[in-house]
Amino acid sequence: MARASILRRTIATPLILSALLLGFALIAWASGSRPFNQTVIDIFLQVILVVGLYTFIGNSGVISFGHIAFACLGGYVAAWTTIKPMMKGIAMPGLPDWLMQMEIPYWAAALAGGAFAAFWALVFGAVLMRLSGIAASIATFAMLAMVNAIYSNWSSVTAATSSVVGIPIVRSIWPYLIAAILAVFVAWAFSVSRFGLALRAAREEPTAAAASGVNIPRVRLIAFVISGAIMGAGGALYAHSIGIVTPDTFYLGLTFTTLSMLVVGGMGSLSGAVLGVLILSSLIQVLRWLEAGVQVGTGTFALPGGVQEIALGAVMILILMFRPAGIMGNSELTGRRARAEKPGEPGHA
Amino acid sequence: MNDLRADQVSVAFAGLKALSRVDLAVAPGRIVGLIGPNGAGKTTLVNVLTGFQAATEGAVLMEGQSLAGLKPHEVRRRGIARTFQGGRLFRDLTVIDNLEVTGVGLGQSRAASIAEAEAMLDWIGIAHLAGRIAGALPYTDERRVAIGRALIGRPRFLLLDEPAAGMSAQEAADLSALIRRIAGEMGCGVLLIEHNVGLVLGLCDHIVVLDSGAVIETGPPEVIRASEKVRHAYMGSAADIDLPVLEVEA
Repeated sequence: MARASILRRTIATPLILSALLLGFALIAWASGSRPFNQTVIDIFLQVILVVGLYTFIGNSGVISFGHIAFACLGGYVAAWTTIKPMMKGIAMPGLPDWLMQMEIPYWAAALAGGAFAAFWALVFGAVLMRLSGIAASIATFAMLAMVNAIYSNWSSVTAATSSVVGIPIVRSIWPYLIAAILAVFVAWAFSVSRFGLALRAAREEPTAAAASGVNIPRVRLIAFVISGAIMGAGGALYAHSIGIVTPDTFYLGLTFTTLSMLVVGGMGSLSGAVLGVLILSSLIQVLRWLEAGVQVGTGTFALPGGVQEIALGAVMILILMFRPAGIMGNSELTGRRARAEKPGEPGHA
Repeated sequence: MNDLRADQVSVAFAGLKALSRVDLAVAPGRIVGLIGPNGAGKTTLVNVLTGFQAATEGAVLMEGQSLAGLKPHEVRRRGIARTFQGGRLFRDLTVIDNLEVTGVGLGQSRAASIAEAEAMLDWIGIAHLAGRIAGALPYTDERRVAIGRALIGRPRFLLLDEPAAGMSAQEAADLSALIRRIAGEMGCGVLLIEHNVGLVLGLCDHIVVLDSGAVIETGPPEVIRASEKVRHAYMGSAADIDLPVLEVEA
């Protein structure tokens, strides 16, 4: 009864977020514009990655600079398992024979990418989750640098810094929508689980959480593995959206973008993670259009190049000045007029 | 043998002795007071008993078994619960979630932990607070929620670190009644660390007095009241001062 009650009281959040994502998909589908379609696919990929980040950072309060490493692991799994064997033989001759011959559908590659990333999250996390605060953050960054260095140098298996091409491109918007919605539901399910509750308690008062019986490294590790899996699957789909991967596709640029979206949306909120992506991505898109030039009457209005980055930075500073905890803070969209609840709260008020 | 026992416990920080050969025992269903002036080492002893601080020498035993090397969450799972000075509630969570954390920390499902949390809030008499955000509670309610959180899973021993700090006389009396119920109805052994000496003298079966990390007196309340050493530790002289006793309904 009690469990059903938690689910019933909090299910509105993933449903509202899914409806928002579906709205974006329907607009892209109705517009029939291929560039716009690709933009919305990018947005859905960012949603997957930022929700993956939220699953760990939001619940644990530990800032991770390393999660994009899991997207990298997933992205290369997509390359290893979906590129035609002949092309793999040329670009990555060191792959074992069974992997060289493997050619699986994109969705299976996404699952495999998630599983591979989850395995490595378990290995790294077993050590990293004993750390806290800035030490943990720096260690996650070291993990990102390590993965990047390995993938940039292991030329027979990853083609080093060369682009790995030939990954089958998936242009339909629907698989990305489904994956983004799945990521939202996985993140929500973790958040309302007993591990999610214990981890949020440890985020606020680690000493009191330990005195309440919470094994903090263990619950952090569970979150790390689940978020690693989401990031890995996201990375694989990312590879399928552009058909090409390099180690630098999944490095500092993507780390900065995804973390910014989470911070702007509100680190402690699943709704914030999704809204952060939707708001910042929409803004980036508008600025891109303005930079490319918009027809106004007989002339063309265009912003000078580079305004996109400057405006984006200014908007982020403004949002954080007025809402330091991000747009959503620790609250969730619940569809009710009353105070928004966090997922996991039974809300007995 | 069925008690919680500190046996000749010493703790040193960089050569400075915070505790020196301290003996203390709490039996199930009994209330033991731990008093002493500021800096006497009371909280350090609680930290040692709950796995937050390793003893430099000596041993902590529960029911005859050593707790050496156990982490705080493992000590809690053995049945030793504690509260903290200042409450340390999970301020962004609701009151019932605060209690639930202990349930899930002890390995219960969320459903089971909610059921126990609701029953505990009811037992303490604060069921009406269940949905309130913990960070917005008045001070007294915060303390009661902290005690409720510690009582989830029916611990064998409960260590209360200054639960009456900042309370009025009436609130302290209500707290005393609750502590009596915890010992009497739950059979839980309680170690009460408190600056309110009157409350301790009125409530405890046995009292240990610490000063500068060492036990200077131990015994029932009447022995503590009569002790020159205790007066000296508190007042800095052997002045003839009556230690107050808070009357508590049994």
